[in-house]
Amino acid sequence: MNRHRSKLVLLASLVAAGGLSFLQPYISPYYFQIIIYIGINIILASSLNLINGFAGQFSLGHAGFMAIGAYTASVITTAMNLQPGTTLAIPMFLLALLCGGLIASIFGLLVGIPSLRLKGDYLAITTLGFGEIIRVIIQNLDFLGAARGFTGIAKLADFFWVYAFVAVLIFLIYNLIHSTYGKGFMAVRDDEIASEAVGINVTHYKVVAFVTGAFFAGIAGGLYAHFVTYINPSQFGFLRSFEIVVMVVVGGMGSIGGVIVAAILLTILPEALRAIAQYRMVIYSLLLIIIMLARPQGLFGGGISIKRFLKQNPEQT
Amino acid sequence: MSILSLQNCSIKFGGLVAVSDLCLEIEADDLLGLIGPNGAGKTTVFNFITGVYQPTSGRVVFNGKDLAGLKPHQISALGIARTFQNIRLFPSLTVYETVQVALRKNIRYGFMQAVVRPNSLFQQEREINETIKEILNFFGLLPYQREMATALPYGIQRRVEIVRALATKPRLLLLDEPAAGMNPAEKNELMGLIGQVREHYRCAVFLIEHDMKVVMGICERIAVLDYGIKIAEGIPREIQNNPKVVEAYLGEKA
Repeated sequence: MNRHRSKLVLLASLVAAGGLSFLQPYISPYYFQIIIYIGINIILASSLNLINGFAGQFSLGHAGFMAIGAYTASVITTAMNLQPGTTLAIPMFLLALLCGGLIASIFGLLVGIPSLRLKGDYLAITTLGFGEIIRVIIQNLDFLGAARGFTGIAKLADFFWVYAFVAVLIFLIYNLIHSTYGKGFMAVRDDEIASEAVGINVTHYKVVAFVTGAFFAGIAGGLYAHFVTYINPSQFGFLRSFEIVVMVVVGGMGSIGGVIVAAILLTILPEALRAIAQYRMVIYSLLLIIIMLARPQGLFGGGISIKRFLKQNPEQT
Repeated sequence: MSILSLQNCSIKFGGLVAVSDLCLEIEADDLLGLIGPNGAGKTTVFNFITGVYQPTSGRVVFNGKDLAGLKPHQISALGIARTFQNIRLFPSLTVYETVQVALRKNIRYGFMQAVVRPNSLFQQEREINETIKEILNFFGLLPYQREMATALPYGIQRRVEIVRALATKPRLLLLDEPAAGMNPAEKNELMGLIGQVREHYRCAVFLIEHDMKVVMGICERIAVLDYGIKIAEGIPREIQNNPKVVEAYLGEKA
């Protein structure tokens, strides 16, 4: 493997993100918003890809981790009354994001534990339930604004920070799966019994995947909250989780590039179809069905096919 | 001294006694065969040696260490490797990556180093790469290194599975019906391979096999299991003429 290539690409991406952020005044706010959403969705989909695609644990609770990160970071920055442009704003914002990620990853650990016993559909349902529990709890916590939502969040997330985290996450996943250590994730996904037999600690890999995936979902939540400045529990419902899963499946489970492309396409598509408003979701779903029929391995198909994934017998030993 | 010793091992599934009071000693340079009619409990023996099941009673002692309560990956780390009756290769990994996974315990770095890639990681990865190439070359698998393991011909898949087990540097190799489904040429190749393994890796081999030509041809000792009970143990010639064994396979004389 090339020793410094991935580090150079990371550096170049960060510089590019910094440079491109100066173009913001020349872009209409509507397009700018879509560009930010694309970045956030890339973080969400890529982090879920680590859990679903590489480690093979079908999780439907990603919006829950996102909500935890969003609320944690918002509570911190609001309590400190951070204002954009002040000296403390950026370091404290980053700290709040990291806290959001850490709390989300603690929950990732908690959700990861049932994944040691549950497989396939059963795990999917459990994680789906987890996401809903988080949403309902937030809906009933008054200090988080309950169902009214959390208002007055400072607009601290900008183009640079969103894409800096995109670059860091892609760098992390790329390095991880190209190492001997990281091959263990694919082995666990393919065959747990055979993995154990060659000395792979299956528990370790599943927990690491959940904790890391949840961490970045938390970061994405924090970025989202500090961009839209208003969050409420209904933004983090199970439909959001499904959207992220669809990006992973369409892009190709276990394919880094495919998932990025799918995140971009599936963020733009609903917007592009706004002109034919009432048929928007019909076309969107039709496209998904066609993609799944024509290319079950996903657009790029670097990893595994959803067909094989669903065929896997959970009780198989 | 024996490397693996099964001491009065029994395993019950509900009311079914799959293996009953089994005692077996395997020496460090042994080539022991385990035979018996279908359903005799042979694979179950492998499963409790490797920690997939826990024996209901009795002790499994490997290299002086009691294996009770250890997980399969811990037992693998102690030096027991196995193959499976119906081949279990990783469908999305190449032959190279399959061996790479088995070398997981050779690396001394964890998650953080895998991500930030310090220089020490490249040193370790280079060593891993050399080890993989060496192993693949030794077993004639180098031409297949970039192929998906499950896309290869059956005989080669068996070979890849054995090589994957050997990559963990076992002191005891368990082979579960390695010749199943092989044609005569592949069987001869397999017998050569097993000989090669013992010579080069100096590990004990314990194999389950139905093919008598293979068993009688390479095993130095054979144990026979019937309905979970060991009915005979000895050198191939003794086993062939043992009335109990003949009865287990062919039924009682009328």
